[in-house]
Amino acid sequence: VSVLAVVERTPDGVEPLSLQALAFARGVAAEGPLQAVVVGSGGNELAGPLGEHGVSTLHVAEHDAYGSYAPAAVARAVVELVERLSPMAVIAAGNERGNEVMAHVAALTDLPLAANCVDAKLGDPAEVTRVRWGGSLLEQARLHAPVKLLTVQPHAVAAEPAPAGVVAVEPFTPPLSELDLAARVTESVSTSTGGISLADAKVVVTGGRGVGSAEGFAVIEELAELLGGAVGCSRAVTSAGWRPHTDQVGQTGTKIAPEIYIPCGVSGATQHMAGCKGAKAILAINTDQEASIFASADYAVIGDLHKIVPAIAAEIRKARGA
Amino acid sequence: MTVLLSALALTAVAAVAALLFARRALLLLRLVRMGAPLQRFDDLPKRVENEAVVVFGQRKLLLRLVPGLMHAFIFWGFVVLFPTILLALIGVVDREPGLPENAPLMWLDRQGWFAFLVDLFCVLVLVGVATAFWIRKVQRPQRFEGSHLGEADLILALITGIVTTLLLWHASKIALGFNEWPAGWSPVSDALSGLFGDSTVTEALERILVWTHLLLILSFLVYLPYSKHLHIATAGPNVFFGRTRARGRLEPLRFEGPDDELRFGAGTVSELTWKGILDTMSCTECGRCQDVCPAYQTGKELSPKLLIMNLRDHVFAEGPKVLADGGYEAPQLVPNAVTDDVVWDCVTCGACVRECPVAIEHVDHIVDLRRHLVMVESRFPAEADPMLRDVERSSNPWGKAQAERAAWAEGLEVRVLQAGDPPPEILYWVGCAASYDERARASAVATVKLLRKAGIDVAILGPRESCTGDPARRMGNEYTFQALAEQNVATLGESGVTKIVASCPHCFNTLANEYPDFGGRYEVVHHSELLSQLVRDGRLAPAKGDAEITYHDSCYLARHNDVLAAPREIVSRIGKPLEMARSGRRTFCCGAGGAHMWMEERGSAINEERVREAAATGAETLAVACPFCTVMLDDGMRTTGTEMRVADVATLLAESLQ
Repeated sequence: VSVLAVVERTPDGVEPLSLQALAFARGVAAEGPLQAVVVGSGGNELAGPLGEHGVSTLHVAEHDAYGSYAPAAVARAVVELVERLSPMAVIAAGNERGNEVMAHVAALTDLPLAANCVDAKLGDPAEVTRVRWGGSLLEQARLHAPVKLLTVQPHAVAAEPAPAGVVAVEPFTPPLSELDLAARVTESVSTSTGGISLADAKVVVTGGRGVGSAEGFAVIEELAELLGGAVGCSRAVTSAGWRPHTDQVGQTGTKIAPEIYIPCGVSGATQHMAGCKGAKAILAINTDQEASIFASADYAVIGDLHKIVPAIAAEIRKARGA
Repeated sequence: MTVLLSALALTAVAAVAALLFARRALLLLRLVRMGAPLQRFDDLPKRVENEAVVVFGQRKLLLRLVPGLMHAFIFWGFVVLFPTILLALIGVVDREPGLPENAPLMWLDRQGWFAFLVDLFCVLVLVGVATAFWIRKVQRPQRFEGSHLGEADLILALITGIVTTLLLWHASKIALGFNEWPAGWSPVSDALSGLFGDSTVTEALERILVWTHLLLILSFLVYLPYSKHLHIATAGPNVFFGRTRARGRLEPLRFEGPDDELRFGAGTVSELTWKGILDTMSCTECGRCQDVCPAYQTGKELSPKLLIMNLRDHVFAEGPKVLADGGYEAPQLVPNAVTDDVVWDCVTCGACVRECPVAIEHVDHIVDLRRHLVMVESRFPAEADPMLRDVERSSNPWGKAQAERAAWAEGLEVRVLQAGDPPPEILYWVGCAASYDERARASAVATVKLLRKAGIDVAILGPRESCTGDPARRMGNEYTFQALAEQNVATLGESGVTKIVASCPHCFNTLANEYPDFGGRYEVVHHSELLSQLVRDGRLAPAKGDAEITYHDSCYLARHNDVLAAPREIVSRIGKPLEMARSGRRTFCCGAGGAHMWMEERGSAINEERVREAAATGAETLAVACPFCTVMLDDGMRTTGTEMRVADVATLLAESLQ
């Protein structure tokens, strides 16, 4: 076996970044069959889709414990296969879960891990090129190890299909201990943005110090919901404890690039504007006409957000005939 | 016969004590020598001066009068009483030694003035010890939180024992008439001699006292290197090898050279510099650093004292293993000795370093730990990532377009220096904050207007100016800093710039103190210095107003670079100055230093603490001389709901001329 790929599942199939990792693995393996591993029941349903991406053998780790994500338990399954198959390399997507699982694999096998690779040449040692510094630096490194553990930088390789023909499915049951399940997902709670992530939202309505209180955000939330957008906030709001830091837009919060950005009661400090410079259009609402937010705004409304935001919401409702 | 026996007994106990002491001292020495290299043998005259002023003059201790005098009494007492240790060594063997009368020690023993000094300093030491107990038991200042209090009590008790037995021994000698000095010169011992009665009993007591005295001294000697009181031996050298160059300058890392000589900050115990290791051995846990630390004072995890104490414990736990086995892989300093949060809480304001009586360099430790975390492990607060990336990619920390760097100056008719242009009389280094930040721009506009009004030929670099690299460097990204430093030094060199005025204290510090390490040598002044000079020369004539103004010192101006008078001169020419409780070199950070402008703050906010202090003066305006202080303190005014204007001294000066 030359390469074993660790594939992550989503509720409706395969994690797209894992398909990129498969494309990367095919490039690295050059020849030889590509084997993959998934965990959880019903994994064999993925044989078809994964065969489209070059997988010839699919190992399905089955265990009751795989109902919820437990990184060490997934790593156990991978380690079991590494010991059985002795692959030249194990490759996973370089997203958060991929890196987490592979870190556990590295710790269990006492092997080095090269994360966020954009290129690799297997051999002894393997030569890898990987991303450091959030993309500002490419590092070329040599990896000395009997089995090379790699994760693939997201979006470094396109997930091209490459049909492999018939896929052999091999179920197995890894030996899991209590400890492997010590850290696992017990509950998933969606954030206040109602499922739309701040970073990806097409519309973001942000409240600043001018909102005045946590309760004051009701009008901001209402407008965001009507527009199908997400709620953001400024640093002042986070400091005051009105909203969680996950809602914060700015230099030290989330960087956003919506079609329309609606900052309400936000003064527009440089620190804030650094987080929304990707916005296509900015509609600012503020009582202070000297506020620096207006220097960057395409549309300006000078007035009290507590009057203007509900008025906009009412107009939208009226237009929709609700 | 007794003489021979006494000599043998003395030799035996002294040998045991010396052996125990030497064994420990040797380990300490080997631990220091294990440290990474650092040049601290240069600049000899300055080092001698520091030794004289800081050690013998006790200057830093005397910054706080009562604890300072308390320590000074004990320290000077130790110096003055030192010869009495040698006299006691002789006295133990033979109460009337047959040494030649002109031997220096014997001569000294006969001098009335020396006997007087011994008496005087015995009393002063006892006063010092009593004061120390009073501070520790009654006053109980917060700075001792986390220190080893029991150890301190034991040491104070030992000192009391040593000095008391010395006095009583002298007294017993006077009672017996064995004193070589005129008894009238030592009034305390003379008075105490009245306590002794029967001469046979006194003779026995005299033996017991001198032996007790000597055994206490030897116990002290043995206990010393195992305790925090080790500073008696290490503080002297630590001050001698302390920083002599600009306080705001960080020691650059070398990225060229043989692999085994390269060092990317401090990851494990053997990557600490030798001075860093000596630092940990010099700490007496006095807590002056903790007392002035803005992070500690606002409830964060960092205490500079605990940082050094934890590093010391780690050095003693892991250092010997490294010495024993060169292949031993010591655990990482972070998080085993200090936590990640501690490393990132620091604002590099330098208050701890200024305060430390034994020249510990806390900020250098922090930066070295950060360097390792950032450059080797890529581990740092995630929210700072955009800043580091943008400084590197866009040459400014907010990722703004470099082409817009001079946008603030439109309409001001200031010359943007192009490649090949004749150099200006003085170059205005604007800095990223004043170039891009709305609130900070006001000061840049005012500065240019004022300089033009005074007829100064000033130019800016515009898009050819890049971030100096300061935030990246203070974050630990030395690599990015050096790349920017080389680029800026090249640009300044090509343009023939020799004199620079900077309005940002961080740029000012980097240009003046750090760029010389990269071949950039300029005359650098802060805008407050240049503007106050122009006012003094009458080239700018402000109108005196009656507004009450309090001035906030930027750490990188006042503490790191001694710029205190110039901004105050401006303030006093345009309004009524009021001082905050913590001002000048004792200033309290605004919270932005050490790249904290680009990090989230945990716990209560430093800027709000400072704003409350400013508001307590009753002034209507808070004058500043730094764009980051401007933004931080203005934010603080808003979050605390304080009605006080925050403005740069240049802005205020420009307004007073209109």
